[in-house]
Amino acid sequence: MVAIEVEGLRKTFKKGKVVAVDGVSLTIEKGELFGLLGPNGAGKTTLIKCLSTLLIPDGGRIRIFGHDVLKESLKVRRLIGLVTGGERTLYWKLSVFDNLRYFAALYGLYGRKARRRIEEMIEVMDLVEKRDERVERLSTGMRQKVALARALLHDPELLLLDEPTLGLDPQFSRVIRRFIKEELQKKLKKTILLTTHYMEEADELCDRIGFMSQGKIAACATPEELKEKIPHERLLEIKMAGLPDESLIRNIPGVEDVLMIVDNNRTVLRIQSPDPEGILATVLERLRKECRIIGFGLTTPTLEDVFIFLTGEELR
Amino acid sequence: MIIVYEELRKTVKIWLTYPLVLVFWTIFPIMWVIPFIFQGKAFVGALSSQAFADLTGTGQYIPFVIIGAVVSTYMFSALYGIGNAFREESYWGTLEYLIGSPASKGFILLGKALSEGIFSTFFALSQLLFAIFLFGVKITLTKILPILLIMSFLLLALYGLGIGLAGLTLLIKESRGIIHSLDDILYLFSPIRYPVEVNPITKFVSLFIPLTYALIAIRGILLLNKPFHLLITEMVALLLLDIGFLFFGFYTFNTLERKVRQTGTIGHH
Repeated sequence: MVAIEVEGLRKTFKKGKVVAVDGVSLTIEKGELFGLLGPNGAGKTTLIKCLSTLLIPDGGRIRIFGHDVLKESLKVRRLIGLVTGGERTLYWKLSVFDNLRYFAALYGLYGRKARRRIEEMIEVMDLVEKRDERVERLSTGMRQKVALARALLHDPELLLLDEPTLGLDPQFSRVIRRFIKEELQKKLKKTILLTTHYMEEADELCDRIGFMSQGKIAACATPEELKEKIPHERLLEIKMAGLPDESLIRNIPGVEDVLMIVDNNRTVLRIQSPDPEGILATVLERLRKECRIIGFGLTTPTLEDVFIFLTGEELR
Repeated sequence: MIIVYEELRKTVKIWLTYPLVLVFWTIFPIMWVIPFIFQGKAFVGALSSQAFADLTGTGQYIPFVIIGAVVSTYMFSALYGIGNAFREESYWGTLEYLIGSPASKGFILLGKALSEGIFSTFFALSQLLFAIFLFGVKITLTKILPILLIMSFLLLALYGLGIGLAGLTLLIKESRGIIHSLDDILYLFSPIRYPVEVNPITKFVSLFIPLTYALIAIRGILLLNKPFHLLITEMVALLLLDIGFLFFGFYTFNTLERKVRQTGTIGHH
């Protein structure tokens, strides 16, 4: 059964001057965990907002479990659980329980039924000790758990998770990822559309991934199929202190593409070449003039390499 | 209706996390009305005046102003409580979850209005007690019931206006300026602080403002001892304005909500 069916979706802002989503077509099956991967501004959030009825598209058609989002928006809203990134999506002055109670009412849940469901969600999300704590006193990760609990209150068929681990520390990110995969997809059999710009997240979680770039789906396949799009099985990876001039490497004959990841004063270069061993000496020679080499070696392509290869854009 | 209750519960709970607000709500109603009393006393040299009586039918300036103050409390709370409510939700980051839920936005706004109404009633009661003890305003049960009916008619119109304002706030992301401007306009063109008969323009414009009819009716009952059946004209006018204001409110809100879903600015500040 098809959960999400998008045909030729287009959404522009500022009287058509900014094209956020440009003719996107997409089909997601029931029970699938689909990831939209792309840099900031690629159109992922706009697409999610169109699906969740928060935005009215300029053109195209969206059907959620067969229901048109424009003509049957109330039915669609009952089928969707939405989680957006960012900390401020809850009432900070209310307790975890009171937040969930209020949002349950918005979905027609009240009385004993609501209380039972809220307690269930609090337990599932491991929030029992924080039940009566005000949200303002919770950590970012805890707040994200409450946001997930809220999205699940009305037992929706489809979960739209927009950057669900944004701003979380690595430990909490792992907890949330495991919950999405093990509980939501495998146990509860939910259909999940997740947007992220963390390639590891998409790689780890998703059955299929859509690369989004400049409002378009540049590629859509399983993570393994996407990685096969890189023509070489091995990449040259060099770690160094300092910031090198990327063009010095790109000019080397035999270099097809370069990905540069900078974190504080550390830089990682991932170089695509049909002969990585052959270019190594030249690359190191040029880099040594500007940076201190920490290490180098051969590695397999990641989704980020594929993204750059297919779109010419970096994810970060 | 459960949404109305939950909205009310949520709003009151959030308010109660700021205990200083309660101090403000206890002192401010009385502080607010005192300058009008002094102003009236300074102009007419006493607590009653023949010139004032010629315009209003009652020479009692102070009760006239206190009634205006009490009723206008509800006006401000309707405009601010409903009109500004979605603005607050947008600051809290929760607005998209409200708009994206299947719940009726009208019920959510009604819940917000009722929570404002509770605080307004608290506010109004302080002023009324003040009026009763210090200025001898007499209120009997037979007068309270028709006044409650008039107030409920007035509130329907004011909530219609507030709902329209909530829609406008969704679009333009600003509420304080509009609410205060609207507040000033209503003060100018309705007999809250003075009889609108003092000027032909205010007299004419006041015909389209529900506060005018509510104040005439309430003052008629309290100050002129008019029986309710003599106030039918005011009640019919209020009812017609209710229909107009509610239609205007919901139409404006729905149109502008759709507009912000097109422009993609729901969650913007």
